[in-house]
Amino acid sequence: MALEQSPLAAYLRAARWEYAAVNAAHILGVAMLVGSILPLDLRLIGLWPSIERQSLARVLIPMAASGLMIAVLTGVMLFIVRAQEYATLSVLWLKLTFIVIGFLSAIVTHLRHGLWLDRVPNRSIAHVGVLSLVTWLSALVCGRLIAFVV
Amino acid sequence: MKKCLYVLVFLAGLATAASPGFTHHGWSWTTGGNIDLTGIIKSAKLGNPHGVVTVDVEGEMWTVEVGQPWRNKRAGLKDSDFAVGKEMRFVGEPSKDRSKKRMKAERIYIGDREYKLYPNRD
Repeated sequence: MALEQSPLAAYLRAARWEYAAVNAAHILGVAMLVGSILPLDLRLIGLWPSIERQSLARVLIPMAASGLMIAVLTGVMLFIVRAQEYATLSVLWLKLTFIVIGFLSAIVTHLRHGLWLDRVPNRSIAHVGVLSLVTWLSALVCGRLIAFVV
Repeated sequence: MKKCLYVLVFLAGLATAASPGFTHHGWSWTTGGNIDLTGIIKSAKLGNPHGVVTVDVEGEMWTVEVGQPWRNKRAGLKDSDFAVGKEMRFVGEPSKDRSKKRMKAERIYIGDREYKLYPNRD
């Protein structure tokens, strides 16, 4: 596979601390994403009704988006090191499916309800929170499992 | 929407259940006792996250986990030492699941020379 032959893949395959650093950065991205989407989803589901949703969104949405960007970037770097082998893992494809669902559902939610969720209707949108929560947690679990099935 | 959620939870559960054995992290999957294999290298995939070589041991194919690049280098091994067709002797722990024919090497011998991947393990 061409990805695996790329100079970056070859470099990361042989590197010690650089590879460890990409690993750590991937965890940072996941931590930022899940750590900020979790409270936001729980707020949509109905927790902390006294805390203003928009203020929460102002902080957590950029944090989650940056986390996703870091996770995707470093995730690609980790993938290309052993692209051929990883591409055969069903758990990886399952993880990517969850990420696509989570990403699309976030796009739809923000198109519908505004970037800062300031156009939320009076009726509850708890289901949006539940879908997002389950999707991102599932992606995290699938990601962790990759290390245990290779 | 509810149905969709059930499907997602189900899939996550399935992924957990379907993982074919929890291997390679640490030593929890190995027996705790050493075995000794000598064979011919059939293929080698070296590099992060961990090196794996396939070894022909008297007609039986064994999968042997060797070190990451830094560990092999520290032991004194070069990538070319793992070239296809070379003979190597491995001492290490096999998988508890003996049908897997998988072992994690602690020491490697080429001829009489010893290469210690894990100097603190016997």
